[in-house]
Amino acid sequence: MKKIFIDPPNSMILFDIVERLGHEPLSTMAALQERVDNLEIDMPPMNVTLDDVISGLKYAGIEVPSGIRGRLATWGPHIDEADAAIVMAEAPYSFGCVGCERSNEMVKYLLRRRGIPVLWVEYPGDKEAAMRMLEKTKEFLGGLE
Amino acid sequence: MSENKPRMRETRLVMISPASNVTPDLLVRTAHALGRELSAKETCYGCLLEGDPATVAEARDELRKLDPHGIYSKRRAYPAGDPRRCRAQHGTRPGYAQLESEWKLLANLQNAMDAIDLGEKAPPEPQKKILPVREFKEIYEVNL
Repeated sequence: MKKIFIDPPNSMILFDIVERLGHEPLSTMAALQERVDNLEIDMPPMNVTLDDVISGLKYAGIEVPSGIRGRLATWGPHIDEADAAIVMAEAPYSFGCVGCERSNEMVKYLLRRRGIPVLWVEYPGDKEAAMRMLEKTKEFLGGLE
Repeated sequence: MSENKPRMRETRLVMISPASNVTPDLLVRTAHALGRELSAKETCYGCLLEGDPATVAEARDELRKLDPHGIYSKRRAYPAGDPRRCRAQHGTRPGYAQLESEWKLLANLQNAMDAIDLGEKAPPEPQKKILPVREFKEIYEVNL
């Protein structure tokens, strides 16, 4: 069983597919659960601790906006821990008011810098795209063993 | 399980594809019928399961048997009914826009999984065409 980083990191589709194929998805939810259960902060991820701010500096410079640094403080340790990654390109919900395109670019940069195998899959906007996505994912995860 | 022993929590969000015939009520009844130390909360999109990780994984596998290609799940950071997130207590739900967006895609995935099981092969990805300059000019010179 390999640890697979998924991007968007809270995607249910990728989380479910990786689990179905017998691997462990590394997602935002697990990182946030630690903060919800163990730390006395009001509402993660809206509120962060000083440790989060400091650990975010490992992944993004001090001049980078705090929102990006906060996101990378959550996702960065998972990128370090991952054996491989699956990135869903052009997912509409990772862009705009619910996402952050600069953070997404930083995640892709960090993945490339680590040099782990990365699969770029299509957004399953129709049945054919979903079939291509499933076949590619199955082949990719099968090849990791 | 001893009352004094610390237990790990896992909360799992189970979502039904729009193309599936399973109902949230059936999911929750099935989860309760397992007779495990597990809490199940019915929601509009499916249900929330909460318990220790091994029991939740077992319940997830049992629920999937109802419709193997129509039931999807992911972990959830906040516990079920947490006042910071629960709508019943006017909590915010910042991830709901994405959940709704992914829910609409689940029918595509369900149909794709059914087709792959029947032995169909995925059609090749359509090539992206380069936009000719003449057509591009027509687009940007359009007089609105």
